[in-house]
Amino acid sequence: MPPKVQFTREDGLYHSFCGLVSVGWLYQKIKDSFFLILGTHTCAHLLQNTLGVMIFARPRFAVSLLEEADLSSSQPQIADQIAEIRREHKPSVIFLLSSCTPEVMKVEFEGLAHSLSTPELPVLFVPASGLDYTFAQSEDSVLQALIPFCPVAPPEDKRVVFLGSVNDAIADDFALEAARLGIPVAGFLPANHFHELPPIGPGTIIAPLQPFLPRTATQLVNERECTILSSLFPFGPDGCRAFWEDLAAHFGLRIDLAEREAAAWERIREHTELLRGKKVFFATDILMELPLARFLRAAGAEVLECSTPYINRRFHARELAALEGVRLVEQANFERQLRSIAAEQPDLVISNIITANPLIGRGVVAKWGTEFIFSPIHGWAGVNPLVQLFTRALRRHTRLDPLGLDPIWTAGVMPSASGDVIPLAQQ
Amino acid sequence: MRLAYWMYEGTAHHGVGRVMNSMRGVHAVFHAPQGDDYVYTIFTMLERTPGFPAMTTSVVSGTDLARGTIRLPETLRQVEASRNPELIVVVASCSTTLLQENLEIAAQSAGVGCDVLVYDANPYRMQETVAAESLFTELVRRYAAPQPLTPHPSVNILGPSSLGFHARHDLIALRRMLAVLGVEVNVVAPWGASVDDLRRLPAAWLTIAPYRELGAAAADYLEAQFGTPALREAPIGVQPTLRWLHTLVDTLNELGAARQPATARAITLPPLTAFSLDGRSAPSNVPWFARTADMESFSGKRAFVFGDATHTVGVAKFLHDELGMPLAGAGTYLLKQAGWVREQLKGYIADDQFLATDTFQEVAARIAELRPELVCGTQMERHTARRYDLNVMVIAPPTHIENHLLAYRPFLGFDGADVIADEVYTTCTLGMEKHLIDMFGDAGLEEVPEHTRTVEREEQEPGEQRDEEPALSSAPQPRVTRSSPTEVQPIWTGEAEAMLKKVPFFVRGRVRGNVEKFAIERGIAEISAEVLLTAKEQLGA
Repeated sequence: MPPKVQFTREDGLYHSFCGLVSVGWLYQKIKDSFFLILGTHTCAHLLQNTLGVMIFARPRFAVSLLEEADLSSSQPQIADQIAEIRREHKPSVIFLLSSCTPEVMKVEFEGLAHSLSTPELPVLFVPASGLDYTFAQSEDSVLQALIPFCPVAPPEDKRVVFLGSVNDAIADDFALEAARLGIPVAGFLPANHFHELPPIGPGTIIAPLQPFLPRTATQLVNERECTILSSLFPFGPDGCRAFWEDLAAHFGLRIDLAEREAAAWERIREHTELLRGKKVFFATDILMELPLARFLRAAGAEVLECSTPYINRRFHARELAALEGVRLVEQANFERQLRSIAAEQPDLVISNIITANPLIGRGVVAKWGTEFIFSPIHGWAGVNPLVQLFTRALRRHTRLDPLGLDPIWTAGVMPSASGDVIPLAQQ
Repeated sequence: MRLAYWMYEGTAHHGVGRVMNSMRGVHAVFHAPQGDDYVYTIFTMLERTPGFPAMTTSVVSGTDLARGTIRLPETLRQVEASRNPELIVVVASCSTTLLQENLEIAAQSAGVGCDVLVYDANPYRMQETVAAESLFTELVRRYAAPQPLTPHPSVNILGPSSLGFHARHDLIALRRMLAVLGVEVNVVAPWGASVDDLRRLPAAWLTIAPYRELGAAAADYLEAQFGTPALREAPIGVQPTLRWLHTLVDTLNELGAARQPATARAITLPPLTAFSLDGRSAPSNVPWFARTADMESFSGKRAFVFGDATHTVGVAKFLHDELGMPLAGAGTYLLKQAGWVREQLKGYIADDQFLATDTFQEVAARIAELRPELVCGTQMERHTARRYDLNVMVIAPPTHIENHLLAYRPFLGFDGADVIADEVYTTCTLGMEKHLIDMFGDAGLEEVPEHTRTVEREEQEPGEQRDEEPALSSAPQPRVTRSSPTEVQPIWTGEAEAMLKKVPFFVRGRVRGNVEKFAIERGIAEISAEVLLTAKEQLGA
């Protein structure tokens, strides 16, 4: 049994995004895909504001819009829209994402997706509704939907499949690093194209690159009898060393990466010196918090609190063990976190994009957590970008002159502000 | 059902949030799934709010629905404890509306001391604009109380709001002009107004309501209920601003003359230079600018204008009347305002040049068909303009963070005329430049393929070589490596070259340079995949 690491569960994670936002990176990762959300104006407005700020000539995602007249029909009619998507975008696969309203309407998604699927163009149901899923959790749903399309590997095929969407440069790093160590690679889930999915069978070792994919891992074990690597996630020198040593062990390779780890720490010493003794508070929602906090602690920082939307005792077992003694919170209540921040005076708050500016407005050094999702922080080559994400905010705020905290410089910016901003940080 | 790529208007709950985050001492509570909190980001990121916006999502989860839990009363108590507002407006979301819960009873059971208004904004029947306008009007009806008029001529300014298009700048422009005239501002709402300010609305002599989208209905109500006349035109452009000033002065003077006893001084329009920033220049440079030789080429450029009602009409007339540009077409996504927009643009465009639709694809198709030299639209039209390589400027919401700039950039008044004209001028391909391109082909603007640019590296500044920047930054990075001409350039193997191609394009040049430097320093003549990987690890990008 995984160790019983203590964490508390609160009730107030309300500053967060629903699962639909992961469309933002998944549609780019799976290059012949189309993401169709069955939803309302709200879903479309969400996409507009999270993705519409980037300028797209031809977005490969859209909303099948439920309007008032559609609320009474038992099963939405979207065959024409599937035809329009096929005509306009010629995808190899369409992911059909659920959202809150059709969930409340009890739309039977599995059946709907099945009825629209053809052998040439599968339509796959992806649960992503904000009633149940937060942020990157829907990547887990997308990968689950892809499992049936991974060829079945024979038992003697003993290779690794890396789990989680990473960009091509990172994927190359992992493939080459594995080759260096003598670890045979079967591929990546997801692959860049729908028809390039890796074979998975009883001999496969699944090596998770992202900490938010426990459901896919469980389903793979149940359906393909493969083995899930239980290690740290490959972030930071400590995470990379554990990840590769543990992965190699599955292939009967005994390797010692102590020197490699030490060299990596040495290369980022100017950053870890800055982080040493700094008090860091995680109040974000990206589902990467546990490994990030573990790395920061190893780098010498003091983690005051690490909150994350969901903790999975089995999938996160090694990270939880490494975080022994840190205050861990699931579903954190943000009002309580504000009080804790005021009381404990962290040097750095890893917040989400939603709350970053208001926190900075109260004199807190806040780093926008979403950037970790979009940065190449995996593996040995990711060590430097990873540590810099933490130190950049600290350095930048040190460089700025202190005038910024005088309310005069924010006067008139926010019409609802009362004018007397109560600082969370002591000035 | 229809396929929607992009939307023009936000949701009803976003409209409610905009009114609440405009006002002081009020708060919105969204009875909604966690994901509906995304609207919060629009305020904190686009408006860069230094405080927490006045809205809270009272989360409804799948588990809550299964168990029959309703967290609304607890949320209301938390909001009262932490924010102490005078008024909380509760609104359901698109999904929770379908649950048919009685939110009135749930809200009452919270036992909070402040006013609680459960606002019935059916998200399937109203969107952002109507929800905001209806809520604001409802609040004015609820709170505006009979008042004696102010002793001196005064106005209310209704309409500026949080996330309103250039609203803060417009408000400055209006205040500047009123200050020049010596007219007092009684209340601005919803921007910065408290519930108590709404009570004081009837003390003003006149309502200024320049936006069709917000404040116009409240102006109607104040006129009907309290007899406050309203100035409803939007002073967009020099001529409309002059007319607006004359109407304002005349109306206030008539009101002053009719008072018993008549108030002392009449307002006079000062010399127009008084409206300039230094008080001694032309209030706007547009009339002269439009006549300069430089602008002659603009008389052949056709513009397509699409947006909300106020800005579509204002900008279309401005382009036509004051810059002499022909209109290829115009339209609005605000279907309820379509009749008014069409009426306003009679004589400017033919009926078949008018477009009223909230479907992005239809607007895109119209633009593709017209291929105008200038598209004045929303953030959505930037997608279309990119697809067809057209010049585009944003004149109406929805906006991009790039539309939330720091400098004073109003659309209203004399100052606004200069801002719009500058935007048109810098957006369009200039006249002379276009002639040269037409005559000589490419004007040297064509992309040089990356492989042929090796020599350019010699010209980089030494100071540009910095590793402290993150590998992934939002701006394109220049190639930065310097190498001495005497050194032998390492050769890239096909495999390494292919790996490099996978590095995001905006840092690729820097990675290439760093890896080559790494190879040169170690006397490596051939950069293989292995060398690339080692270098990336050593250099940290």
